[in-house]
Amino acid sequence: MSLNSKKISNKIVSFRWITIFLVILSTCFFGFQLTKLTIDADIIKSLPDDDKNAKLLKHISKNFGGNSMGVIILETDNIYQTKVLEHVRLLTDSLSKIDGIASVSSLTNIINIKGSEYGIEVGRLVDEFELPTSPEQFEVLRNNILSNDMYKGSIVSEDETSTLIIFNLEDEAIVNAVAKNVLKTTETLNLPETLYYTGSPMLVTYISELMKNDLTRLLPLAFLVIAIILYFSFKTILGVLLPLLTAVISIVWSLGLMAILGFSMSMISNNIPIILLAIGSAYAIHVINRINQIHDQNKTDIVQTALAYVLIPVILASITTMIGFVSFIFGAYLEMIVDFGIFTALGTLFACILSIFFVPAIMSFKKSASKVKTSKNVLLTSYFLEPLNSILLKYPKRILTMWMLLIAISIFGLFSIKRSVDIQEYFKHDNPTRLAEKIMIDKFGGTKPVFVLFKGNMQSPEVLKTMKKTADYMEESPDIYTSMSIADLISELNFAITGNRDIPEDPEQIEQLWFLLDGNETLERFVSDDLDEGIIISKFKSPDNQSKKVFSDYMNAFIEENSTEKCQIEITGMPFVDITMDQSLINSQMGSISIAIIFVIFIVGLILRSLKSGIYAAIPIVAAIIILFGVMGLTGISLNIATVLVASVALGIGIDYSIHIISHFNHVFKDTQNFKIAIKESILVSGNAIIINVIAVSAGFLMLVFSDMVPLQYFGLLIAISMVSSGLGAITLLPAILILVNKKSLNQNSNEL
Amino acid sequence: MNYKTLSIITFLIFNFIPFSEAQNAETLLQNMDKLMSAPKDRVATVEMTVTNKFEDEKVREAILKQKGTDRKMYRYTKPEKKAGIATLSLPDDIMWLYMPSFGKPIKISLLSKSQAFTGTDFSYEDMSGIPYSERYIPKLLNPDTPNTYMLELTPRTNKTTYSKIVISIDKTHYYPVKMAFFDLDKNYEKLATYKYAKKGNYWYAQEVIMEDLQKSHSTKIVMKDIKFDQGLKDEEFEVEKLISN
Repeated sequence: MSLNSKKISNKIVSFRWITIFLVILSTCFFGFQLTKLTIDADIIKSLPDDDKNAKLLKHISKNFGGNSMGVIILETDNIYQTKVLEHVRLLTDSLSKIDGIASVSSLTNIINIKGSEYGIEVGRLVDEFELPTSPEQFEVLRNNILSNDMYKGSIVSEDETSTLIIFNLEDEAIVNAVAKNVLKTTETLNLPETLYYTGSPMLVTYISELMKNDLTRLLPLAFLVIAIILYFSFKTILGVLLPLLTAVISIVWSLGLMAILGFSMSMISNNIPIILLAIGSAYAIHVINRINQIHDQNKTDIVQTALAYVLIPVILASITTMIGFVSFIFGAYLEMIVDFGIFTALGTLFACILSIFFVPAIMSFKKSASKVKTSKNVLLTSYFLEPLNSILLKYPKRILTMWMLLIAISIFGLFSIKRSVDIQEYFKHDNPTRLAEKIMIDKFGGTKPVFVLFKGNMQSPEVLKTMKKTADYMEESPDIYTSMSIADLISELNFAITGNRDIPEDPEQIEQLWFLLDGNETLERFVSDDLDEGIIISKFKSPDNQSKKVFSDYMNAFIEENSTEKCQIEITGMPFVDITMDQSLINSQMGSISIAIIFVIFIVGLILRSLKSGIYAAIPIVAAIIILFGVMGLTGISLNIATVLVASVALGIGIDYSIHIISHFNHVFKDTQNFKIAIKESILVSGNAIIINVIAVSAGFLMLVFSDMVPLQYFGLLIAISMVSSGLGAITLLPAILILVNKKSLNQNSNEL
Repeated sequence: MNYKTLSIITFLIFNFIPFSEAQNAETLLQNMDKLMSAPKDRVATVEMTVTNKFEDEKVREAILKQKGTDRKMYRYTKPEKKAGIATLSLPDDIMWLYMPSFGKPIKISLLSKSQAFTGTDFSYEDMSGIPYSERYIPKLLNPDTPNTYMLELTPRTNKTTYSKIVISIDKTHYYPVKMAFFDLDKNYEKLATYKYAKKGNYWYAQEVIMEDLQKSHSTKIVMKDIKFDQGLKDEEFEVEKLISN
């Protein structure tokens, strides 16, 4: 293996000019593509097409525009004041003028149809030319709102302190541009009332902004921190530049490839640069570390020799890391997680290729005669690694017991892990979006949309009656405040004309009532153009997953009983998607970890030609993952769409440490046949690189703690914890196991020595 | 010519021109109103084609009976599902709706003039029978085109949904060729394009296309089989006639 590696290493160094040229060319090419990379934080688009609920939700979003509705909440002491209504009208008119907004509805422009003693009155809730001024006029307005189920609590809150201005985007509107325009326009009005923004277009744009902010703020910070750590570790410019350059080039290549293939940055793939910065530099660190170590031994062909040693571990480490990322393809619910897995794996591959081709190519220009500063960190070696080696050899059992104790505590914590799929948890507590969500839940019945789809003739009395019955049944749920559908509009019109709020029995009456609605834009939100599909729109209040499950069972029982061939009923919405997403968190976690562990054992075993080595290598990382879950359980950090990635990412990266120790151990043991020396060498040389690596990688990930998005803060923190525990596992637990299982050989060596 | 005489002449010239222009603008608008309301009554088949932004069309047909400018009855004949539905517009924004399946006419008080007229791009304000010269102050715009005068109309009252209307009026016959409607924020909102034809002594809008530029939506109204001065009586426009006809 070593011989082959040497040959390959010689080739790599001899083609250094071609390598450097190709790297520069590719980086320019992919760098240019980066300009085309877009950000898309829309979670609906990322829902899988093979899931029934997600598919139906996408269908409804597309056909009824459910996903293009933005909301402004205007909050004040009392809505029923002339100046407040003036401001609502100003907002309504200003929003109507924004390019990309198809319609705006608010208290000041909603059409109100109501019965009167001589017929019906068709008008607006608020007169378009004369706003109410007297208490009597406000009382009339208040009564008009309260008497109409469609407006009660959905346009003005029951405590009369908030009102909604709802806007719908045009189909071809550029969501981000419109949302930014909405913010800019409303801020320029400088209204005395407090405004909050919510609804999909505002939320998606807000998350995109946070993502951009994170990228531009955190990436340079991580870059700087890793650079400082590398400088203190290698104390050479090349030692700092090369790992960072490797990481940056692999980031440019993978993001450039994303742009070429038409993928957008999601709120998950937004992490790719920081992850690649952390892990991309790791391979280069190992290569440089070994080159420096060989240099210390005053050998010739330094780069080739070092590369021959490090080639297999680096390739192996990158394969296992890639397995960690690729494992997301199996079992991940959101497409954005699959995309993240694929492109981070590709980035890892690029970093590996660069580390074994590009880094040696550059390093080979350093003449062997020239003075290369030693990499050996004297302090680290003499004050930590050497004493560690002695302790390990003396007390392997105690070390093992300590780890087992730690694992036992973690297993205890593991059972307390909570799961959360609530998108609002992405924001900090004082974030305006989160405050808007709270107002929507407290005063307007929530924000999580629920849609009941009816397939049948929308003008048939049977279908409309079933719709009404469904809505009534739904509203009995404690988490459904109100609902709206075409059946409500028809029954309100019927009430205005006949005084009867039922759906008319005569189909002709329905068709003729429809005449009054023709041309009304709100119709598009409730029924399809062909009148063969219609929806009930509602909102779900509770963020609690158990409530969602209860509601799902409650509604599914009704649907099963009432869905007929002529009136097919289906239900979907974010609560239903959340249930599947929640379940998928466990499946995805279990699936990706199992696949990753099995593949890692298999690949490590295969390349090191020993299944035993594969299993040993897996032990520290399995321990690290148990500790990770223990920490999550004991500290209350929930498993969500970001933290679900941690275990597999940690496994992929953390296994590298064990691989380096095991392969180093095997290498030295093969050369010397001395167990003790093999352990010592592994700990002193590979341990040195591992510690530098753990510190650099953890510091890089810890920069995510400054992210504006809460799950990413936890993501960074948890990865850092996993890196430390898997690194410590590799230099303490793994050698302890190796010592204990080879005790006989160790004793022999001791006697020989 | 002394300085005083020169001043008087200058004063007269500068004050007379706007006055005469205002006079012209008023006269032009009145002429247009007169042409539009010339027939005593009319009976026609009206075809309304509503086209949405996806170019989907909905066609409706109704029989129109009109007396003067403020009594109008539309009885729908197409689509079949809406056949029999009738609307009756009377002075003072009173409207009655008859839906055969409900068996009785319903009085509709239109509290919002900006609302679309039965799903078209015309608002109730656009369909108003009140002459333009009574609702707007005209101003002659220069330059005119070779065949049309350009008038800018500003509302006499603030109870309107338009800030101004710019009308092109045919120089020979005084019928409107185009009307551009501007919303209260002075944004170009709608454009009406007229095709006038002459039947007997009267010019009439054979085709009107109203385009809502903000919504990419349009409505085409075509008048067919139009007959004028049929001697329609006021009784033809009584509420009971909604049922009996």
